[in-house]
Amino acid sequence: MKNFAHINARSLDEAVTALQRYGKRAAIIAGGTDLLGKMKDEILPAYPEALVNIKTIPGLNLIEEKKGTLSIGALTRLEDIAIDARIIDGYPALAEAARRTASTHLREMGTIGGNICQDIRCWYYRNQNNRFACLRKGGGRCYAIDGDNRYHSIFGGSVEQGCYAVHPSDTAPALIALDATIKTSRRSIKAEDFFQVSVAKTTVLDDDEIVTEIQIPKPAGTSAFVKFALRKAIDFPIVNCAAMVTVSKKKVTAARICLNAVYVKPYRATAAEDAMKGKAINEANAEAAGAAAVSGARPMPYNAYMVQIAKTMVKRAILGCA
Amino acid sequence: MPPICPYCSTTFDAVDKLKTHIIAEHGAEPLPRPEGLIDLMVNGERYELQVEPNVTLYTVIHDRLGLTGVKMFCDRGACGSCTVIMNGRPVLSCMTLAIECDSATIETAEGIAAAKHPLIETYVKHHCMQCGYCTPGFVVTAKALLDRNPNPTEEEIREALSGNLCRCGTYPQHPKAVAEAAKLLQGGEGGTR
Ligand code: SF4
Ligand code: FES
Ligand code: FES
Repeated sequence: MKNFAHINARSLDEAVTALQRYGKRAAIIAGGTDLLGKMKDEILPAYPEALVNIKTIPGLNLIEEKKGTLSIGALTRLEDIAIDARIIDGYPALAEAARRTASTHLREMGTIGGNICQDIRCWYYRNQNNRFACLRKGGGRCYAIDGDNRYHSIFGGSVEQGCYAVHPSDTAPALIALDATIKTSRRSIKAEDFFQVSVAKTTVLDDDEIVTEIQIPKPAGTSAFVKFALRKAIDFPIVNCAAMVTVSKKKVTAARICLNAVYVKPYRATAAEDAMKGKAINEANAEAAGAAAVSGARPMPYNAYMVQIAKTMVKRAILGCA
Repeated sequence: MPPICPYCSTTFDAVDKLKTHIIAEHGAEPLPRPEGLIDLMVNGERYELQVEPNVTLYTVIHDRLGLTGVKMFCDRGACGSCTVIMNGRPVLSCMTLAIECDSATIETAEGIAAAKHPLIETYVKHHCMQCGYCTPGFVVTAKALLDRNPNPTEEEIREALSGNLCRCGTYPQHPKAVAEAAKLLQGGEGGTR
């Protein structure tokens, strides 16, 4: 790893000031499990001159339930979320998403803030030393379109960029299904508006903005998370799905269903939500909702298999809410 | 160069002693700690080290402290062979910046062996290694599990160790060794192979 300046921020203000001082030449480090890999492989469009460590900021590592809202500090480790009884009980989609992320060690290091801010895994993008200077690095083309796109988007590319790299987070769809709000150093953003695709960016965050807390309203209904990956542990999802379903008199009154790893951002399956409204949760209705979710899919040459998996993930997530 | 008091030029063998001296004798605020100076408690021993920002905890433990039980397979956080227990958590030392570990308490395979933890014996008994390169990482991860969960189920053991890779394919042996170590820790008898 090439060297860099290192700053231990003692407060949020100190961190923001440091980020402003370096502009685009600094990176935030929390768990470091995504960032250090990118620095070792030198795949960042520009190698950071400084790392701003936010683990030294007090008060960002907490889980609290107050007045019907669950607050999770951005520095809370994924493992602590996965084993928290309140979250397992009241917000099972999130507990399960955290539990299914990476491996024990990475969950002990990785934070929830970092998990939603993580970078894409496209293998052209991640290839060492920026061998493929693609659109997401400010280059001229996407290598996945004519290349090996077995793990790329089945719902088209991002509108302006033509990039087909999927968003790899497990917790992101759970937070969207649970209708979470992301608090940053300067504003509050709905989880579903948090993700955005542009050069070297996966979120709407400004360069000097830091995620501080996740807030989740107590769900009216039940929630569930399912994941399909090649191995049970360590792997990123091929497809995952989170659902939150409210049922009254055996009929679904509200549903929020979100797929991930199928599109450049977490993909809210509104067609599946509509398909479930007024219906009972059963095998046939969940299957129909799954089919509705992927009715607009436009797979690439090597990833049509993901359509079938996405359909099944939607179905299982819904059945998981029964 | 040993730390020197800027007020009276007395020398000290550790920065902390100089700090205490300045506060006590000169009623002043201690000088800020030099950047990159870290204090580590490794296997019960204290070390004070000066590190560059880009140095990982792996490099410090393996190359500078000479504790070679910590192994590097992947250097990317994908295999678990570089696992150490830091402040009670099993973490990957290859993906940890040493400069961020100031005042951490760390345990490595060497410490676990020195403490005669039953895992060492059960790992040998159950032949959990072929080449042995991944083994310290497994042992350290298993120790972290048993510290928190003294009586894990087989499923819990498998899950805890799922981030440790073994190129030789010793996987089936590990749950047996960990389960037996758990039994021994609770004062029970070890089973047969
Ligand atoms: S899918 Fe996106 S990240 Fe991958 S090569 Fe194409 S433009 Fe780059
Ligand atoms: S060497 Fe650290 S995880 Fe593989
Ligand atoms: S024993 Fe050889 S890698 Fe595990």
